[in-house]
Amino acid sequence: MRHVRAALARIQGLITGPRADAELREEMEAHLEMETAENIRRGMHPAEARRQALLAAGGLTQAVEAVRDQRGLPWIENVFADFRYALRALRRSPAFAAVVVITLALGIGANTAIFSVVRGVLLKPLPHRDGDRLLYLRHSADGPAAANLNFSVPEVRDLRQGVSSLGGIAEYSPWFHTMQGADGAVRIDAGLVTGNFFEVMGLSPILGRLTRPSDDGPGVPPVMVLTYEFWTKRFGADSGIVGRTVTLDGTPVTVIGVLQPAPFFPDRVDALLNMVVSPHHLSAQMVEAREHRMTEVVARLAPGASVEQARKEVAAVHARMRREHGAVYDPNAHYRVAVMPFREALGERARLTLQLLMGAAAFVMIISAANVANLTLMRGVRRELELVVRAALGAGVPRLRRLLLAENLLLTFMGALLGVAIAVAGLRLLVTLAERYSPRASEIRLDATVLGFTLALAVALALVLSFISSLPSEGSLASWISAGVRRMSGSLRKQRLQRGLVVAQIAVSVVLLAGAGLLTRTMIQLSEVSTGLRTEEALTIPLSLLDPTKVSPETDAANKQLYQRMQREVGALPGVIEVGLGSTMPLRKSPIAFDLKVDGKPLAVGEAKPHADFRTASPEYFRAAGIPLLVGREFTTTDGPRAGKVVIVNKTLADRLFPGENPIGKRIAWTGEVLRFTPFSGDWRTIVGVVGNTQDGGLDAEPSGVVFAPFAQEFAVFGGLVVRTEGSASELAAAATRVVRRIAPTTPVENVLTVRQIKNQSLAPRRQNAALVSSFGILAVIIAAVGIAGVLAFSVSSRTNEIGIRMSLGADSGHVQRMILKEGGVLLALGLALGVGGAFFAARLIEGLLFGVTPHDPVTLIGVAAMMAVIGIGACWIPALRAARVDPAITMRA
Amino acid sequence: MADRLEVKQGTLALMILRTLEVLGPLHGYGIARRIEETSKHRLRLNYGTLYPALLKLEQEGFVSAEWRPSENNRRAKFYALTVAGRKQLAREAREWHRTADLIAAFLAPRPEEP
Repeated sequence: MRHVRAALARIQGLITGPRADAELREEMEAHLEMETAENIRRGMHPAEARRQALLAAGGLTQAVEAVRDQRGLPWIENVFADFRYALRALRRSPAFAAVVVITLALGIGANTAIFSVVRGVLLKPLPHRDGDRLLYLRHSADGPAAANLNFSVPEVRDLRQGVSSLGGIAEYSPWFHTMQGADGAVRIDAGLVTGNFFEVMGLSPILGRLTRPSDDGPGVPPVMVLTYEFWTKRFGADSGIVGRTVTLDGTPVTVIGVLQPAPFFPDRVDALLNMVVSPHHLSAQMVEAREHRMTEVVARLAPGASVEQARKEVAAVHARMRREHGAVYDPNAHYRVAVMPFREALGERARLTLQLLMGAAAFVMIISAANVANLTLMRGVRRELELVVRAALGAGVPRLRRLLLAENLLLTFMGALLGVAIAVAGLRLLVTLAERYSPRASEIRLDATVLGFTLALAVALALVLSFISSLPSEGSLASWISAGVRRMSGSLRKQRLQRGLVVAQIAVSVVLLAGAGLLTRTMIQLSEVSTGLRTEEALTIPLSLLDPTKVSPETDAANKQLYQRMQREVGALPGVIEVGLGSTMPLRKSPIAFDLKVDGKPLAVGEAKPHADFRTASPEYFRAAGIPLLVGREFTTTDGPRAGKVVIVNKTLADRLFPGENPIGKRIAWTGEVLRFTPFSGDWRTIVGVVGNTQDGGLDAEPSGVVFAPFAQEFAVFGGLVVRTEGSASELAAAATRVVRRIAPTTPVENVLTVRQIKNQSLAPRRQNAALVSSFGILAVIIAAVGIAGVLAFSVSSRTNEIGIRMSLGADSGHVQRMILKEGGVLLALGLALGVGGAFFAARLIEGLLFGVTPHDPVTLIGVAAMMAVIGIGACWIPALRAARVDPAITMRA
Repeated sequence: MADRLEVKQGTLALMILRTLEVLGPLHGYGIARRIEETSKHRLRLNYGTLYPALLKLEQEGFVSAEWRPSENNRRAKFYALTVAGRKQLAREAREWHRTADLIAAFLAPRPEEP
């Protein structure tokens, strides 16, 4: 209480100071008079009485000062004074202030923006209740197609029974539906979930209710929970949505609630439904077949249990499964289950890219801080006279230090302010980038924590900058003052520090440039990868006519007729050369893949079963998509539903199955337990042709084996049209889409893209990486060039006298120019050597982001070094020219 | 002159409070006089010591101040003990006695070991 009261009084004192000063004087005057009167009474002469009274008072001015200190908050008053002074000093050198603030803003802005992404995507606690106890389980095996196998219902059942350290295990099966709305049909991504899903995830509704265990099983009404994003986007955040009925694939489904905003994994979803909506999910197949894996699993740690415990128990249960059901788990494929915190799973894809960007941003910060440090040092030299004068007038070292700190704080705060503005501007771009990698991109904000980070950065920078300027130690102040200015300008220590900073800037720039170079080359290499297609001018129109609730040979025949009608009518559009039908569009990865067996070629012991993607194609498909036929024949119209079953394989599969043999006429068949759950048979099929490889699923993807079957001979689970045109394929998109919509009005038609667009889409993340790191690199080079030019210019100006003497003794301007160039050249060479060495190490860290170049690609490293050298020499040239123009007659007189 | 002491911070507050308790409302000069006399002129109070201490006590609410005519009809600022100040004085005096006893016990000549 007493302290609060005193503090309040002091704050008041800050304001009422002047009036109180007058009162104090009056009070002291009264004191003096009373004492004088007393002295006179004792018999002193009035003048002597007054003198004695003054002596006893002991310095009125000091007394007033002491009372003032007690009255207000001297510390704050001093700080205000320091800042006022700093502001004045900076206003006197606006160019210096502007360069420093802009340099800092670039570094701080880059770091603030990247940190906000890192925080939103990786660090921020999950919105889920006790999100740290949430786990994601991943079932995988060897091979690219088995990176995420999902779980089957029996497997989940085993886990539920055998793992006590998991308090709840929920199933989540990614599924999709066609939703009929007033504005036509849309495809929505859904998750079919068990009733305990939301309890396990720790999520709450913001409207209505969520599914619960009573929504499980058959015979209950289908219900739907909307995700927050879908609710706002599709239903305009309509608060009356609960209780409304929507039609999904012809089935009425009731909306029961809206979920709080939350990230989903592995993909974003629009809605979550109970299992009853998909008859398949309640079928015996789904519930009893161990190899029928369609379910993602999330789990919550039981109270008191650790992730380690859960890992051990899950591994034990999985080992028992493998023992008891040997037929389902091929030992050569190494089936395994990974248990990881849900937050890690969410950040998995983003981590490497974010580390890259964080590193790049940190480098930019280092360079800009080094540059500012250099500028400060140079300015420090120019200001030494002023500091000496201030010291001579009685400012102690702490006061001088505080003054510098105030100045630097002012600079870094202005830099931070501008930097935050830059970050705000750049954030939207980064969010689009993050969306490709993370389901949490929508959580990226410039929130209080991020701003706290920025503030901490600014304060730390200010502290560093204040302490690199050398101030003498307390005791040596006198010698500093007496030495005056001359001794101080360009002390050896300071010059070394400046040069060291320049070398560091160049080195770091080289590392950044090398990273940018490698990523750019990766992008160029990738875009030069042949897609395997003869043309990129083909339009793809994927659409699925299949209604999963009505699967029968009759509906399939009807669907195929519709596809063929689309083929005919799109083919009749002007400019169309060829229209092909197929299950999957060119350059897209087929979602269906099976194990294979070869007639007359049993597997060797321990040999893994061959595996291939399954696709269907009409006779025109290969020509329309531009897939080259290498051997044999294409499909013909005679390969009809009742004709002998034939297939065409791609080159990779032909080489894998029949090395050195002619594959034509050989027979292969699908195999594996999974076939039972599909409409595809394990009959023998004769190979009639071999086509070239295409880069399905990305330009950097390993080519996988592909089997094409005739569109007419297989069940059409998926479908779509490939349209080859005379002119630009994209110009046909609108007309072709109209035709397709007219024929299938209830089917969503989305992602109508040309092959070129598909290719560019797959390049986009790499392009963004390369562009971001390159812009950081360019930024770094500019700052470093300014740095080296600045330091040399400073060196020239402080050596003007010396240069003048040299010239008057006979050195010509060329000689002087070479002298300065050499000074810069040494720094440049050192920086380059360090930078190339650093790049050598740093590049290995981003190996996972590269394609087609090794991390130590000599072309990139040499190119980058050469570029930096050219820019560096250019930066040295300006001060060198200035040195050469020094007029000895003028400098000697000065 | 040689044995004059600088008054220690903290003890001065106690002396001022005690002076006001004994003599009632008083101006700065009166307080200084009284303290110097009580200390038999071993303490010297210059303005730079006295007035900040008075202001501090005022800020803390232990004394109140009021401008009034002095005995020789000059306007002077009179300080008076507040209720809180009275309590504070009792508290500090108690503590001071305790400390003094403690120090005295430490400095007392050591009794013979039995």
